[in-house]
Amino acid sequence: MTTVADRPDVARADGPRRARSRSDRLGIYLLLLPSLLPIVVLSVFPLVRGIYLGFTDARAGRNVEISFTGLANYRELLGDELFWNSFKIGLLWAVGVTVLQFVLALGLALLLNQQLRFRGLARVLAVVPWAMPPVVVGILWKLVYHPDAGLLNEFFHRVGADGLRTNWLGDFSTALPAVILVGVWAGMPQTTVVLLAGLQGVPRELHEAAAVDGASTWHRFRNVTLPAIAPVVVAITSLDFIWNFNSFGLVYVLTAGGPGGKTMLPMLFAYEEAFRYGNYGYAAALGNVMVVIIVALLAVYLRRRLREAN
Amino acid sequence: MFGKPSRTGRTLQYVALTGYLIFLGFPLVWLLSTAFKPPRELVKLHPTLIPSNPTVQNFVQAFTEQQLGRAALNSLQVSLASAVLTVLVALPASYALARFRTKLGTVALGWVLLSQLFPFVLLIIPIFLILRQVGLANTHAGLVLIYVVWALPFALWMLQGFVRNIPRELEEAASVDGASRLQVLRRVVFPLLAPGIVATALFSFISAWNEFFFALVLVKTPELATLPVALARFVGIEGTARLGPLAAGSLLATLPSLIFFAVMQRRLSSGSLAGAVKG
Amino acid sequence: MLRSRFRRLAAAAAVAVVGLGALTACGDGGGEDENSSGPVKLRFLSLAWQKESLQANKDLVAKWNAEHPDIQVEYVQGDWNSIHDQLVTSFEGGDVADVVHYEASAIGEFSKQGYLADVSKLLSDDFKGQIDPGVWDTATFDGKVTGVPFLLESQVVIANKKLLDAAGIAVPPADGGWTWDEFQANAQKLTKPGQYGAAWALKSPTNRVLNLALNYDGKFFYGDGGKTEVKVGDAEKEVPKRIHDMLYTSRSASPEALGMSGADTLPGFFGGKYAMLPGSVSLRQQMVEQAPAGFEWVTLPPIKGLSAKQAANPQTLSIAEDSKHKKQAAQFLEWFLNPTNMAALAKGDWLVPTGKQANQELVKLTNGKQGWDVAADSAADLTVAPFQKADGYPEWKTKYATPALQQYFANKITLDQLGTQLVDGGKQVLR
Repeated sequence: MTTVADRPDVARADGPRRARSRSDRLGIYLLLLPSLLPIVVLSVFPLVRGIYLGFTDARAGRNVEISFTGLANYRELLGDELFWNSFKIGLLWAVGVTVLQFVLALGLALLLNQQLRFRGLARVLAVVPWAMPPVVVGILWKLVYHPDAGLLNEFFHRVGADGLRTNWLGDFSTALPAVILVGVWAGMPQTTVVLLAGLQGVPRELHEAAAVDGASTWHRFRNVTLPAIAPVVVAITSLDFIWNFNSFGLVYVLTAGGPGGKTMLPMLFAYEEAFRYGNYGYAAALGNVMVVIIVALLAVYLRRRLREAN
Repeated sequence: MFGKPSRTGRTLQYVALTGYLIFLGFPLVWLLSTAFKPPRELVKLHPTLIPSNPTVQNFVQAFTEQQLGRAALNSLQVSLASAVLTVLVALPASYALARFRTKLGTVALGWVLLSQLFPFVLLIIPIFLILRQVGLANTHAGLVLIYVVWALPFALWMLQGFVRNIPRELEEAASVDGASRLQVLRRVVFPLLAPGIVATALFSFISAWNEFFFALVLVKTPELATLPVALARFVGIEGTARLGPLAAGSLLATLPSLIFFAVMQRRLSSGSLAGAVKG
Repeated sequence: MLRSRFRRLAAAAAVAVVGLGALTACGDGGGEDENSSGPVKLRFLSLAWQKESLQANKDLVAKWNAEHPDIQVEYVQGDWNSIHDQLVTSFEGGDVADVVHYEASAIGEFSKQGYLADVSKLLSDDFKGQIDPGVWDTATFDGKVTGVPFLLESQVVIANKKLLDAAGIAVPPADGGWTWDEFQANAQKLTKPGQYGAAWALKSPTNRVLNLALNYDGKFFYGDGGKTEVKVGDAEKEVPKRIHDMLYTSRSASPEALGMSGADTLPGFFGGKYAMLPGSVSLRQQMVEQAPAGFEWVTLPPIKGLSAKQAANPQTLSIAEDSKHKKQAAQFLEWFLNPTNMAALAKGDWLVPTGKQANQELVKLTNGKQGWDVAADSAADLTVAPFQKADGYPEWKTKYATPALQQYFANKITLDQLGTQLVDGGKQVLR
C-alpha cells in the first residue's frame, strides 16, 4: 500500500499536471475496482453466455450439443403471436405498476417528510410490504381476492355493497388490474424510501426563500423540490421499470398467467420456455429482444428527463 | 418542508397518511391474526380479524417442524454481511462515478443496468456453475457474493445520484479550509450521504433476507438453509399451504427487517444540507 | 498531498473489501467433501409437507439410518412450488440429490433429457409385482422406467352429508359410484338460492379435464405412426361439455369456483354454499383438520361415464442418472416403499398407495373409515392416459389448452371453438 501511495509523489515531481490526472485516474479505478470485480466475475460471463444462447438451438438435456443457428430464433419469434400478446401485457403491467408506484410513493414520501405525529411508526409501517417474505405475500393476497371468503369481498359485504363483490382474479376484466395493484403494493416501500432519502437533499433555504417570495405550495414543489430530487427520481423510476418488467413471481402465484392468458407476462413466458419446455436457445432469444426494446424505451425516457433537467 | 400548513391541511395529511398505512400495513395485521388462528378458523366463509379461539400452536409447530431458529440465524448472518459489504463496495465506486467522468464508469453503469434487464432465469444456471467451480456452492459466502452483486446495481445507481446531489462547492470549500481529501469525505460527504447509505443498506439487507431461489439451489446442507427456504416448506401442492404455521413463521421473519428499519430510519432525515450551504 | 491521501484511501478501500470478501469465504469454508471411504451417503429430496406425512418420512429415514450404518440417507425437504426450478438448475449444474420425489407427469421431460436412471433393472421382480403395469406405464418413457410410482391421487366427490339427507339423496356404496347423469341430477337437486350443488375448482383446468376425459374414452393425443396429434371428437368433448352445462345451463355449479384450486373451495363448502366438491381424495385431510364442529362429510366414489377410468398421475421417487450410488439408492427405495412403509406414507398424505398389499394394509389399518374404502377402491380405475406420454404436453398445456379451457368455462367461446383451439395448439407444438 505504501508503494502505491509513494510512487505518485515521485511522478508529480516530474510534471505536475499530467501526473495529477494520471494518479487521479488510478485512484478512480481503485475506487471502482471493488464493485466492478464481483460484477465482472458473476455477471459478464453469464450475460455473454445468455446473449450467445439466443443465437443457438440450445435445449435442456444431458450432454446436448449446441449449434449456432444465427437468426433462426428471431425469425420464429417474429411470427410468435402468443409472445407479442404477452409482451403487450408486460408493457401494460410494467408501465402501470411503475407510474402508480411512483405517484403514490412520492405522495407518501412527502407526507413522511413532514413533522407529523407518529412519523417513526408510520415510516416503519410503510416498509411492511418489503419486509414480508415473498412466499407469504402471494398467499395473503389470494386471501384478499378470494371470491367466497376474501377480505375485499367481505369488506363490500359488511358495508352493504354486495353488488361490488367480484371474482377478482378469475374475471377476465379484473385480473390484470388486480395483480397490478399487488405489484404496486409490493414495490412501494422501496420507491418511498429512496424518494424520502432524496428529499433530505433538498436545501431548506431554497424553500424558505421561495416561501418568503410568496410562492404557493404547488409552486414550491414544482420549482424547488422536484428539480432537486430529479436525479433520484430518474434513477428509481428507471430501475423500477426494469424490475417490474422482469418480475413475474407474484403474478405466477396469483394467477399463473390466467385467466385465458390475461396476465401472461413476457418474463413468465420466457421462464416457461426455459424452465418448463427446456428451450434455452429460444428463451434467450426472447430475452435479447426484450432487452433491446426496453433499452430503446429507457433511452427515450432518460434522454427526455436529462434534457428537462438541463 | 412546506412551511406551516393550515389546520385543514394538516387534517388532510393525516387522513392521507392513514389511508396509505391501511393499504400498506393491513396484510401484516392479517398475518398477525392468521398466526393465532386454529385450523378450523382459517376456512370460515366470513373471516374475522380477532381469532375466537386464539392459539400459539402455529408457532410451536413452525419451530418444532422446521429449524426456523437456526434458519433465522443463517439469514441474519448472510443479510448483515451482504448489507455491510454492499455499502463498503458501492460507496467508493459511486463517488468515483459521480465525481469523475470516465469511459470505464459509463460502461460500468450501462452494464449494471443491462445486467438487471436480462431475464434473470437465464442467468441462474451459469452463475450456479461458476460458484461450483470456485467452491462456493453450498456456502453462505457464495450467497453473500451473489447478494452483493445483486444489490450493487441499485446501490451504485442510487448512491451516485445522491453524491451528485451534494454540491461540489461544499467539498471545495472544505478543502480550501485546509481539510485533507479524507477529511472532506469523512466530515462533509459521508454525513450528507447518510440517507442514501441507509437506503442502500436497507435494500441490500432486505433483499438478502427475503431471497429465495439462490438460497434454495445453492445451499444443499439442511443446517445452512435460510429462512425463506425453510418457510417455503409449509407450502404444498397447487398453492395450498399450511397457513397457520406459515403465517406464524412469516410474522417472525418480517420483524427483523422492520426492527432494522426502525433503528435506521432516523438516519433517513439526519443528513440535512441546511447548515452546510451557507454562502 | 491531497491527491496521495485520496489515492491511499481508495487503495485502502479496495484492499479492505477484497480482504473482507476473502475472509467471509474462508469463514464458511465447507465446500464439497466427497469421501471415498466410510459409509455411502445418499441425499433424498422429499416433497412431503403435510404434518403427518412429514413425520412419517422423517421416521422412516431415521429407522433406515439406524439399521444401515453403511448407507446413510440425508433427508432434504423440498417444496412443490419450486421443485421444478430446483431440479432443472441442479440437473444442469450436475449437482442433484440421489433420490428425488416428484410426479409422473413432470418427470417425463427430465427422463427424455437423460437425467433420470432406468430403475427397471435395479429393482427386484417381487417389488415390481406389487404395482400394476398400468401404473408403471405412467413412469415409463421411451422404454425406460425412470420413477417408482408410489402415491396415487384419484378424483372422488366429497359431499356435505346433511345437505344430501335434506335433499333425500342416498350415499352410494364404495363400489357403486354415480354416473355423470346421476351426479348432474343430484347436483341440480342440491341447488337452491345461495347454494350450489357443486363447485368445480378449475384453476389448473387442463390436467383435471384430461384426467376425467378418460371416463368417456377421451384421449386427446393420438399417435399415428410415430407422429402424435391432438384430436377433439365427441369423446373428448363430453366431460368439458357436462361441466359447462352445470355452470351455465342447469346452473348447479358455481362459476366463482373456476379460478380456485382444490382447497380454496373449503370456506364455501363448510359454509354450506357448495354441497359437493368433486376433487382429490387428499381433500379428506382438510375435512378432518378443518371442518367445523358438527359438520358431517362423506366421500363418494369417482363419477362414472362409459367407465370410471381416470388418468393416474402418481407421485414418484426417481434415481438421478448422475448419482454415484444407484444400487444403494435402489436398495433404499425398495425398503422405503415396502408395503408397511408405503401404507404409512399414503396414510400421512391421505392418498392411495400404488402397492396392492400396501392398499390392503391401509384399509385394515383404518377400517375403511374416513373414505379409505372409497380411496382403496378407486385405485383399480387409475391408469395411464396418452397425454402423459406426449412430447410437448407441458407446452401445449400452458400455451394453448389452459387459456382455451379457461375461456370455454368462462363462457367466452363455444365448445367447437374450444376444440379448434386445442387442435391448432397441438399442430403448433407437436411439429
